[in-house]
Amino acid sequence: MTDDTLLEIKDLHIDIATDEGTLTAVRGVNLDIKKGETLGLVGESGCGKSLTSKAILGINTANCKASGSIMFRPSGGSTGPIDLLTLKAHGKEIRAIRGKHISMIFQEPMIAFSPMYTIGNQINECTMLHITKDKEQSKAITIDMMKKVGIANAEKRYDQYPHEFSGGMLQRSLIAMALVCKPDLLIADEPTTALDVTIQAQILELMKNLHKEIGMSILYITHDLGTVAAMCDRVAVMYLGKIVEMASVQDIFKSPAHPYTQGLIGSVHKLGGKKSERLFSIEGTVPLALNLPAGCGFYDRCTKHIEGTCNVKDPELDVITGTHCTSCWLYAGKNGGK
Amino acid sequence: MSEPILDVKNIYKEFTSKGVCVKAVTDVSFTVNEGETIGIVGESGCGKTTLGRCIVRGIEATSGSVMYRAADGKVYDFLKIDNAQMKVMRKEIQMIFQDPFASLDPRMTVYDIISEPLRANFRLSKDELADRVMDIAKKVGLNTSYLKRYPHAFSGGQRQRIGIARALVLMPRVIVCDEAVSALDVSIRAQIINLLKDLQNELHLTYIFISHDLSVVEHISDKVGVMYLGKMAEYGTSAQIFGHPLHPYTEALLSAVPVADPDYKMDRIPLEGEIPNPANPPSGCYFHERCRYCAEECSKKVPVYHEMGSSHFVACHRAEELKLRGFSQVLDESGK
Repeated sequence: MTDDTLLEIKDLHIDIATDEGTLTAVRGVNLDIKKGETLGLVGESGCGKSLTSKAILGINTANCKASGSIMFRPSGGSTGPIDLLTLKAHGKEIRAIRGKHISMIFQEPMIAFSPMYTIGNQINECTMLHITKDKEQSKAITIDMMKKVGIANAEKRYDQYPHEFSGGMLQRSLIAMALVCKPDLLIADEPTTALDVTIQAQILELMKNLHKEIGMSILYITHDLGTVAAMCDRVAVMYLGKIVEMASVQDIFKSPAHPYTQGLIGSVHKLGGKKSERLFSIEGTVPLALNLPAGCGFYDRCTKHIEGTCNVKDPELDVITGTHCTSCWLYAGKNGGK
Repeated sequence: MSEPILDVKNIYKEFTSKGVCVKAVTDVSFTVNEGETIGIVGESGCGKTTLGRCIVRGIEATSGSVMYRAADGKVYDFLKIDNAQMKVMRKEIQMIFQDPFASLDPRMTVYDIISEPLRANFRLSKDELADRVMDIAKKVGLNTSYLKRYPHAFSGGQRQRIGIARALVLMPRVIVCDEAVSALDVSIRAQIINLLKDLQNELHLTYIFISHDLSVVEHISDKVGVMYLGKMAEYGTSAQIFGHPLHPYTEALLSAVPVADPDYKMDRIPLEGEIPNPANPPSGCYFHERCRYCAEECSKKVPVYHEMGSSHFVACHRAEELKLRGFSQVLDESGK
């Protein structure tokens, strides 16, 4: 783990016990997040992107078994890197990290808040736990943060309940809650999917500004490539529990290597593009991660698959050029390596 | 030039609850030609779904008319015809719903779901029924050997195909698609959009495509209507709306769309605040509080929805003088 690395995930596997057998939802994810960078994690539903992020915080449900390691270096420097996976889900250590060093924004702001408590009360919980025990001071910090995320009339809003907020305002409140302790890492799990375009633009703008101000790293999880292009420094593309491509945002959009990434980018209509063009579409659907066949998970849907190679052995994530990695047999041996 | 198949005129829809009247749709009019796709865009709460439901008469409009030219060439007011006529006409206007997980009965097999409209409308023998269902299932790309299964066995994209098959089985002429692809993943969304386009070419369908996703609407629509707070703010061809918008709201909406290109630096027009409460709308132009071109008259007078240029309608006091940015200009400026 190098000094500028904040979080390093190594060979993460997550098994889910179901009635029909064990489902391996995440199959060997390797990922590192540098200090201050925004890493996009892109994939379709069911590819394991949310499970991966929840494993970092240890908040997956009890039937999920994670193995591998997630090394995290909290700021402050008193402790060395900690393996988050070894911490007990209800233990003191992880609770000291949650909310303080790593915090999360969830997809549905309407569900993320408890309807029984005021917004101020719920944001306050975080500051009372991690920053100060003084109620007045805690309230002042909370209101200050609410103002920072653009909630007008924060003093009054502090005492209101979630149902009195609109979706966009709730998402701002959720961001306030996540950032009030100035975390090292912010996990944003589809933070704008439930919002309208104009509100989405406001929220993305807000996240970018706060990112500049606070300087935390962001793990930005989404299926929307448009927002990835605007938000991220680097992008990892996930398919069926594996990272199939990882590169800088430039490389991902300008020279996507993996056929799946190419398909994803091709299937989005660009505003101002040619209308008569048919959208490129990837045939078939994501297979269920029960009883996966040998070979590449994308084999069935891939138009460029090599018979006898792709359906026999699963490719490893490998460097093509510089920082651009992909796991695809089409590029095997092209880097002078294996 | 194809003939108009639907002429939507002055639709109003008001909901009253606890003595508060909410104007969900206010004076919306547009014409739909046969074989065209009309996109209706707007943010949540702008009344686009209510409008769609009023058109298919899923809910009754407070006032207004939908003049529908039936297959026999006669023109009926779809909102006024009696039940007997309605039973005939219903077959010609169908709907595809947003959420493929909520719009299919979990206790019916897929075969029953697709055949139900036929059973309700025709007396067909078992074989005839099976033929028509198989036929349509193949057309939408469903594996016919799975028809005896229940909806839970299908993925989101497959479910949406079932919803499309159910709408198509009566051979309708007009289909209202209410956020038909919004709940789907990117790669599946492209499949369904291509399918809708193919079916349109093959069966000469007319779509009213309601969506909040502007890039999808641009891709699929011939004409686009932009709604704001229950009113039509602007209506024109896809090229007009996306290339040369006349309403400041359209301009702001276009600038907010994220583009999948890291080099693309959009000069975003910030839209402060949120959609006002429709129970208590602002005075004058509904958009004036958030509009960066707001002039004095905007807060006082309601703008007239009028034609500017060939079949390009707009409701804005300053539409004539403003030079607004469309999408093509933005792309030109950034050197694309």
